This record gives sequence, structure tokens and C-alpha cells, in this order.
Amino acid sequence: MKSHSAIVGDAVTSHSSFTVESTAGDARAGQLSFDDTALETPNLFPVINFYAGGLEQSLFGGGIHRTMKEFMTGRGKLDLEACAEYFDAAMVSVSSLTDYGIPRDTFETYLETPIKERSEFSEFDGLLFVDSGGYKFLHDGELDGSDFEMEIDQRAVFDIQQQLGGDVLVNLDHPITPDDGYQTRVEKARKTAQNVAEFLRLSGDHKSVRYLTIHGYNYSMCDTFLSELTDILGPHLVRSCFDGIALGSLVPKKDNKGDLITAVSDCKEVLADYEFDDLPFHVLGISSSSIPLLIALGVDSFDSSSYIHAAINGKYHTSLTNTVPLDEASFEDCYCPVCSNPELRAWMRGDAEYKKDELGAVSMHNLIIQKDEVTRIRECIHDDGADGLAEYIESTVGRNKSMRRFAHRVINDSLGGYF
Amino acid sequence: MKKSPQVNEVNEFLETASDFEDPLEVIRESLSNSYDAQATNVEIEISSHPNGSEIIIEDNGTGMNRQQLETFFDLGNSQKTDSIGYKGHGTKIFYKSERIVVTTTTGDTTLRATMERPWEKLNDRVLPEYEVTEVEPTESTDGTEIRIEGFKSGQGFDPRSLTYNKIHHYLKWKTIAGSTAHYFGEEEREMEIRVVLDEEIDDTQSELQTTNRLEFPSEQLRPSTGEFPAERMCKIYPPQELTIPHDGGTTTAQVVGMVGGKAARNELPTYGKHSAQFGVWLAKDFIKVERVNEAISHDNEFLHFFFIANCQELELSANRGKIRNKSSPVYQALVDELDHFLSKVGEDPWFKDYLEQRRIAELDRKAESQLSSVEERRERVKERNSFEPTNQAEVLLALERSNSSAETVQAEDFQMGSDINAMIRKDGELWSCSLHPTLMDHFEAEKPLQSVEKIVCWDLGDRDQLQEIERDGYQGGEVIFDFAESEIIYKNGTTSRIEIIEVQERF
Repeated sequence: MKSHSAIVGDAVTSHSSFTVESTAGDARAGQLSFDDTALETPNLFPVINFYAGGLEQSLFGGGIHRTMKEFMTGRGKLDLEACAEYFDAAMVSVSSLTDYGIPRDTFETYLETPIKERSEFSEFDGLLFVDSGGYKFLHDGELDGSDFEMEIDQRAVFDIQQQLGGDVLVNLDHPITPDDGYQTRVEKARKTAQNVAEFLRLSGDHKSVRYLTIHGYNYSMCDTFLSELTDILGPHLVRSCFDGIALGSLVPKKDNKGDLITAVSDCKEVLADYEFDDLPFHVLGISSSSIPLLIALGVDSFDSSSYIHAAINGKYHTSLTNTVPLDEASFEDCYCPVCSNPELRAWMRGDAEYKKDELGAVSMHNLIIQKDEVTRIRECIHDDGADGLAEYIESTVGRNKSMRRFAHRVINDSLGGYF
Repeated sequence: MKKSPQVNEVNEFLETASDFEDPLEVIRESLSNSYDAQATNVEIEISSHPNGSEIIIEDNGTGMNRQQLETFFDLGNSQKTDSIGYKGHGTKIFYKSERIVVTTTTGDTTLRATMERPWEKLNDRVLPEYEVTEVEPTESTDGTEIRIEGFKSGQGFDPRSLTYNKIHHYLKWKTIAGSTAHYFGEEEREMEIRVVLDEEIDDTQSELQTTNRLEFPSEQLRPSTGEFPAERMCKIYPPQELTIPHDGGTTTAQVVGMVGGKAARNELPTYGKHSAQFGVWLAKDFIKVERVNEAISHDNEFLHFFFIANCQELELSANRGKIRNKSSPVYQALVDELDHFLSKVGEDPWFKDYLEQRRIAELDRKAESQLSSVEERRERVKERNSFEPTNQAEVLLALERSNSSAETVQAEDFQMGSDINAMIRKDGELWSCSLHPTLMDHFEAEKPLQSVEKIVCWDLGDRDQLQEIERDGYQGGEVIFDFAESEIIYKNGTTSRIEIIEVQERF
């Protein structure tokens, strides 16, 4: 068995910095910097399918995803400027590359040039966060194209992440499910830990930002996970090799806000015990109405495709916490660039050549609402402190009868309470 | 030709006075009048007489001039605007009497108004009249004395039902004496209130003295020691003015309250069941009117809560007993906002700790009682001479133990509650089995015999009762107990033989 230092070689490097500028209770606002890119936190990274079955001339395809890329780059049939401010960061997943059943040569084309070096995406200058897609590989274990299959392990994932030109990379993980028993979780933690060791070795000479995934629904599960990791890597390397932490496996809990709050606040507690609490903290796959609650607990970033899913389900966001059916939406009441554009309003009313354009416009609107709201929360942390953030949560999530007890809980636990 | 609708004045007076059902409401109305008259002292004396109660209310308020005295007797003609008694309904409760005498001094004028037999006249459909005369002042200061003789209090002021305790509770729960206005720093005058009941009504104390302020018990945030540690826990939730938008505009509510255990609540002048007194009260003029306990989430027992939400936009019935504008947007918005406010109280970490302290104490008490029950069992085991099963599980245990002294019979499974509650292995074969402390238990449980291959029991039980079953038959069939062969012969269309394994005999 190799020693800890042999596993990672000279992997102990950091190419990013994270500065907390303001706090409000447990919430924090700051800046994540990498090379020339500086990202304000808390922040929401839209999940973008950069490669969705098509070729260069169609911005690599993808239906609604293509329309989203048109908004991102300003390269659509509409004469629009690129909505760069809403794409200051984007999340892409390795596992999504074969979502559209592509043949091998297309797959290879996708990996030929890093995303940000392609002329088609030259307007995109945000931080590119490349997730491994561990949850999908947990079931399939391979990338499955129309005429090829590619076995997936940590090395393969890392190579693809590199080829995509990711700024922030996440190790290949083995996410847990709520039904997993103790032994299964420990086994997954060990496998993830082995991947982490390989990930650190592979990434040692690269300057990408490294995020470590953690999995657990409460303090003990997160502690067990980190303890397994420590057994394999050693406490020093666990502490010094990562630029950020990403909490995963929460998607099955996305509708149970009580469980989400427990998972995140307990994980934060474990991270403090392991002296990880000065690293940026990302929550994978959770967004919308959970965002204000989890920011209050100290989450720095989120990623989500819920803005697209909401649009596909005919939902138009009026705020982070509320949606209305698309046919009842009053576009005139919205300030956003999509709703302010007469042609896009017509698209959203169904007057579009393709359904993707109708729903793509709604998706972009939904993303803008979510991003703007995150900006508002960030400003609230900077300017108004714990009372201001508590008031924000009280007046948004707290006014929803089914969610208010969760608002009360985070205000009590993290923002000083009411009484 | 236009016509004006007519009002039957007598009926209006009669109806309004009749609306006041509780004779104690006379106290509420008197205190409200005194408060409106800027009084700082009020004395109420109640005495019991054969022809009804006599009530004297005396205050040091501003007194009344002739016009004010008229509105005192008029219906719905109050000159007051920003005051409790703006409707001119409250004093009509005094009409339920044989005589009303009002003596009032304002400046250097003292007036006396007398109304004779108002209740009798109203019931005879005659509008009672009153006479006003100027009299020599008895005292040099302003004020009013209202003397109501022969008040028709029913049994309300009966010595059997009226006590200082009950009046104290009524004062704090239903009158201006229970006001929470002082928590909100409003211009709120303190008013001393003294109530005297004659000895025939209640001789346990000479008088009751209080003020027009509701004071909560002192806070105790941590549990006490002892069996009921949360009983005196108490937290005061400080006054808050809620701004409540609604369809018709914006209203405000002044909310203050407490959460506490039974001992803390009992420091208030409670009377009767706490479930009828605690919860969330809506108030107008800081006088509690009705409860809205539905504003408290069902998880939280409302009787731990005592919150008062005052809203001046509530509209009340003539007797102030009910809220009239419940279907209005303002009422709905008020209840929704209270529901929201109380959900925060329900999630308050202190409240959760209070509930947890109660739960832990209950578990401790249960454990304590289990300990004593364990002690009793220990004694029983020590005292008995031999093991004797008293339940099915113990029969299983006995069966296993008996294997050391008899042919092996092993229990392979056990399903409590099933007719065939055990499978046993004997002679290398599995047998469906009914297992009980006594053989008789099988029959008392009315279990079938057709599907049973063996009955395992500690002993046979009452053999006379078994013989009765033999005589009467069982579930439509014939039963023969052959104890010599340890078997039951059951005939019901077919004949089956069921082995009896009497565990006691195996030792």
C-alpha cells in the first residue's frame, strides 16, 4: 500500500482563492477567484448542456439547451446581446455528454477543443464547473453513445474534465441514497476516497480548482465519510489539497426541506471540525426555494437545471419561491430582458417557430429571476447583516405556509432568532 | 309618498338588554364607563337580596352633565367617539333591574337620575322613564355612583356561583381590568379597582383589589427540579405591533403573550379548566372578546399559550360577546398574520426545549414507575417456589427448559396473536400448534380446533370448565378430552385428534 504522500505526489497546490467579505449569522458573501475570473458568492451556476447532440453550426444542439446557449452567446436568430451577467459561472456534467445518443466521432469532436476556446462559445467567460456525474455512473458505469461505450473511472472522468477545459473539477464520486444502509455508505465512501486519491494524483500538475465531494444526510454520515477519506489520504492531505467542498446526494431530498437543512447544517459542523470551514461550500443539484434557507446556513454556491425543468413543466418563475402557470403569467409585470423584449414575449405566448424557443425563453426568464434573487440575497448579506437576511427570508420563504417552519428554523438556528 | 321605517323602541331596549346574558357583564360595562370617564378609582359592591342583587358602582371620573346623563339612558345615542362605549349599548344591561339611581357630580353640579321598575315596564311593553333632579353634592370631587337595585342576575350572583375568585378571573379575562395596553406604551391610565361582595355571597376575603392591567407571571426559562420540571417554566413574548395589509388597506394588531406550564399559568387568576381560558385571544379596546385557537398549529397544545392580539378594526356584537366582521378581509388577514406570528413562537427554540423538558420528565416518571414495577416483579420471583408461566412467551421458555428432562420438543417460530401461534418440531416433524398458559385459554380465545395439530399449555386449567365444553360442544362440533392419552378428540364432520402437550408434566 502506498503512503499518503506517494498517492498525491506534489498535489498540494492551490490556484484559487476564496475571500469572505461579509457575514450575516452563518451566511457569508465573498469572492471566489481563479486566474482572471472572480465570482461573487453566494452564486447559482446554471447547468448548461454545451454539447447536446448537434454540431458547430447549431451551437451543438440541444433543443431548449440550444436556445439557452443562444442567450448565453448572443448567437441566435434574435438580434440579442449575450446575457453574460447571468452566465458568470456554468455547470456542466461529464455524464451529460452522451445524453443525446451521439456517435463516437461526434463525442471526439466535442472533446477536441476546450469549451471556452471554441469560437462558438467565445462570449462565455464565466467559471466553468465540471462535475463528474457520479450519480449517473453509479448505475451505468459507462458513457453510452449510439455506436460506442466507454468505461468510466476516475482517470477517464478527469481526462474528459480536462478536455472540456473545466476551471473547477470535482472528483468522481459514489453518491449515496436515502435507502443505503451503513455498510453500503461506508463502501461508497471508500470507493470515493480511492477516486479522490487518484484525482489528486492526476490533477497534481494541473492548475484547475479542485472540489471534494462529500456525502451524508447528517453529522454522523458526513463524519464517517470524512473519516474513511482520512484513513486513505491522511488528515494533512485531506485538509490541504482542496479548494472547495461540494455536498452531494441531496437530490432525492430536494423536496424535504427539513432534511436538506439538517444535511447542510450538520455537514457545515463536520467541516468546521475538520477545519474545512474556510473553503467555499457548494451544494450539488439543489436550488429554487431552498436557496435562501441554505445560504443562511453558509452555502456559497448552488447549481441547478430547475430553471429549465420549470419551463418544461409550464412554470414561469415570479420569484425564487413562486411560480405561476405559463398561460397565467403576466410578462408585463417583469423587468427582465426576456419579458421586456416584445418578440420574446410573443415566443413565450406560443408564437414561436419551435417549442424550444417558447420554453427556452421561459427558461432564460426563470434563470434570470433565480440569479437576480441570489444577487439580492448577496447584497443583503453585504449591506444588512443577519437582521436583513432574516427579514428577507421571513418575507419570502417565511410567507409560504408550507415552508415557513423551515424559514423559522434557519432564522432561529443561524440568524439570531425572533425572540 | 316616501315613508320612513318605524322602530319599536321598547323592543329595541328589551332586545339589547336581553342580549347581555351573563350578569357579570354589568361589571365589564361599568368598568368601561369609568375608564372612559377618566376615573382612577372604581369601587363595585355587590350584595344579594331576595328580590335580586344590588350593585353599587362608584368612580372618581369626570361625572356627567344633563346631556351625558341622557345618553347614559338612551340606546345607541352615545356621544363618545374614541372610547370603549361608543355604541351606547352597554349601560342597557342596567335595565334588567327594579331601580336605577345614578348620582353624578361634575364641577359644582350634582344630578340624580332615577328610573323605576325598568325591566318590568319593558316586559309590559312600556318604555321606562327616568327623572333627573339636581341635588346637594355629597362629595366635593367629580364622579359617578350608579346604584342598581333588584338586578335580575338569575343565579349569576347567587352565593353558590359567585366568588371573589370567579370575579377576579372575569375581571382579567373579560374586562378592561385585563388590558394589555400598558405593554405598548400607549397613553394608558392606571385605574385602581376594588370589588366588595357581601359576606353572604363570599366571606373568604373582605375585598378584591386590582388594577386595569394584565400582568403575566414572572419568566422562568429553565426547568425546575422535581417530578414536573417544566411546570413553572414560562416565557413572555414581548409586545409587538403587527402591520397587516389586507384587501381594504392596512390594519395593526398589538400582540403580547406568554407560554408556560400549568404552575405558571395558575399564577394568573384562572377559574375552571385551562382549556377554556388559554390560547389566543382577539381583543378590542384591549378587552378580550373571542379566541382563535386555530391560529396555533395543531402540533402545539393551545393551553400552553396565552396571547392577546388587540385590533381596533374588529367589530363586536351589541353585548361585546362576539366578533361580527369575521367574513371581512381585515379579520381574515388578522387571523392569517396571527397564524404566522404564532408559527414563529411554535418554532422558538425555547418552546421546543420546554416541550422537550415535559417529554423527558414524562419519560422519567414512566421509568420511575417501571422501576417500581421491576422491584415488585423481582420480589415475586424471589418469593415463588418454582417457575410458573403466566403468558405465552413464558410457556415457550418453559417448553425449552423442559427439554432437559423430557423428549425434545422445539419451538421453531412464534407469532403472537395468530390462531396457530407456534410451529413446533417433535419427532423430527413440524406441527402447527396453539400455545397458551392453560388448555382452557385456547377455548376461551375461541380458537378453532380443525387446523390445530397440537396444543401446548403449561397446565390444563379449570377442568370443570373443560368438562362444560365437553357437555356443550365447541364451535358446532363434539369435543372429548382424553386426559389419560393427552389428546382431544374433535368431531365436526370429520374426526381429528389433537395432542395436548402439558409442559408442567414434562418436568
